[in-house]
Amino acid sequence: MIVLVLVLPLLAAFLLPLMPGMLRRLIGPAALLAVAGIGIDLATITFQQPVVLAVGGFLPPLGIVFQADAVSAVMVVAVALLTLLLWPWQGDDASVLDRKQALTLILAAACSGLAVSGDIFNVYVFYELAAVASYGLASGNNAAAKVAAFRYVILGGIGSLLAQVGITLLYFRTGTLNLAHLAELAPHTLYDPLGMSAFLLILLGFGVKAELFLVNTWAPEVYATAETRVSGLLAGLVSKLVLIILVRVLTLIFAMTEAHLAFLVLGMLGTLTGELAAYRARDVRRMLAWSSIGQLGMAFVAFSIPGPAGMAAGLAVALHHLIAKPALFLLAERWGGSLASLTGAARKSPIAAGLFVLFVLSLLGVPPLPGFWAKYLLLTGLAAQPAGLWWLAGAVVLLTTAIEAVYLFRVIGALYTRDDSQESQPAVNVASSGILAVVLVGAGLASPILAAPLDRMAAQLADAPSYVARILPALPMPPDSTMPPPGPVPSPDPMQPPGPTQGVTP
Amino acid sequence: MSDFSLIALLGCAIGLIGIGFAGLVLGRNLFRIVLALSIAEAGANLLLILVGFRYGGIAPILEPGRTVANMVDPVPQAMVLTAIVIGVGVQALALALAIRARNAYGTLDMRLLRERMESDIDRAAGTTPDTSRQAPAGTRPLPPPLLAKREPLS
Repeated sequence: MIVLVLVLPLLAAFLLPLMPGMLRRLIGPAALLAVAGIGIDLATITFQQPVVLAVGGFLPPLGIVFQADAVSAVMVVAVALLTLLLWPWQGDDASVLDRKQALTLILAAACSGLAVSGDIFNVYVFYELAAVASYGLASGNNAAAKVAAFRYVILGGIGSLLAQVGITLLYFRTGTLNLAHLAELAPHTLYDPLGMSAFLLILLGFGVKAELFLVNTWAPEVYATAETRVSGLLAGLVSKLVLIILVRVLTLIFAMTEAHLAFLVLGMLGTLTGELAAYRARDVRRMLAWSSIGQLGMAFVAFSIPGPAGMAAGLAVALHHLIAKPALFLLAERWGGSLASLTGAARKSPIAAGLFVLFVLSLLGVPPLPGFWAKYLLLTGLAAQPAGLWWLAGAVVLLTTAIEAVYLFRVIGALYTRDDSQESQPAVNVASSGILAVVLVGAGLASPILAAPLDRMAAQLADAPSYVARILPALPMPPDSTMPPPGPVPSPDPMQPPGPTQGVTP
Repeated sequence: MSDFSLIALLGCAIGLIGIGFAGLVLGRNLFRIVLALSIAEAGANLLLILVGFRYGGIAPILEPGRTVANMVDPVPQAMVLTAIVIGVGVQALALALAIRARNAYGTLDMRLLRERMESDIDRAAGTTPDTSRQAPAGTRPLPPPLLAKREPLS
């Protein structure tokens, strides 16, 4: 069942050009609905007991593993539903629309794959799949988008390269690629400068898509030139899935202080630079792009807190951003111009302006809305840590919230300035962002109920020993499998580095 | 195969990655940038192959009567195969985008392209750029206010 969440969208993407007439428009949404259903079913199972699947009956240290815990299930549901909300329903040209829909489906499949993968090389492959699909989606239909997409491809290529070298170092030291097996071997083999550099390479490499500080320069260019739909998908969805992968690498393999500090420092710098750049931005779309860099930096800061408290805070920040940022991008679609051109827009489209205010308030953390709980968890988590960098991070979070308030209220001020002489503003389509607003307000109202599932997700994410225990030892053999458990070639002893260090000459 | 040649090969791999990164950072021509990326990828793939290498190892094909003791590690080879395929796809995509950018802006120079893209974005957004290469800070006129001034309401 786990495999279906990535097979269905992938299959739909490849079948889409072959379908006749009406079916061609329906196959994508149908596949995504099916994935959402499977995801909800998975969630009901995994909140009790996480699921593990050994692909092809090959047992974990050698075979490839898919695993779904509560976080994966929630992420799969989020992937399917958010992709449906941001689905390209109509376009100017039928063949262009086909391509957009196919790429969006591939992106959804890769994101689901990232959520359930339990093997670092599979993660690399799904990451590349998501990257290539997003390059295609980002290179929209204007000339500036082509240049932005080229720069994005090059930066993404550098990121993949760094991640590949990092994975090479991991394999060199441990001889395995399975996340659980790596977690088991890490304390003996990876807690040294070489292991740390492998972690930093993987962090910076995969961090390109998670808009990590230093490798996030693509974001404002791409978000300003691509369709808002695509910006919403990249900022809301892809970045979160990559973030979850990085958190898994952190908590499972590199659960040492230095790695947590790397997360903390890069996140802090990302928050500070992102929000300051957003303060300087003069148009809504680039402002939102920089602000999403700032928010993701905040999520990195949250995940850097060791233990379940940090995981809960990080998940809250990430999930809140996953809902809020695509909605803001969608609302900004028709308001893409400078702030001055927004003057009086609230009178022309009052519902859109009201929704914009709602999301801005939640982003800032005004109490009844979920954004408040996210920041509350983050700040209490930071305050519970020993003084030092963590408290500095708390101060940075508060400072950037103030900066955020200044520039977001500048937009709201422009929206609600009275203005009689302007030409009419185009109407804004509020359906998708309206749905997201309902989810947001519902989450805010239901926050006492949502606390327990959030804690459960955080506990599963933080609990490395039980992750290892459920994947590695006694995985029951599938009854119909007659293959012997190891692959055709027994690999070298994983405790021994398989590389040239053995130095045996014949 | 001696230690020396192995060290030389490792040096080659790291050197290729270094050359590629230098080209990525210093290059201005789009095609050279793509070329630099592929050089760096070649270095990374060589590094990955060397990780799985064994002295005097044979190809990892299991046949009756052959022991598994002295085979090179097949896993890095599978990984390199995947990485090569991905790299080819990404390079093709990058070249296609470079052609499109060339057709749109008439140049392959990354800095010129970036300037023109920024000014296009600014024009589409209806804002003026707030920095300028021609006039350093202090000599250029102040940027326009963030919100346009309007007549006071009567």
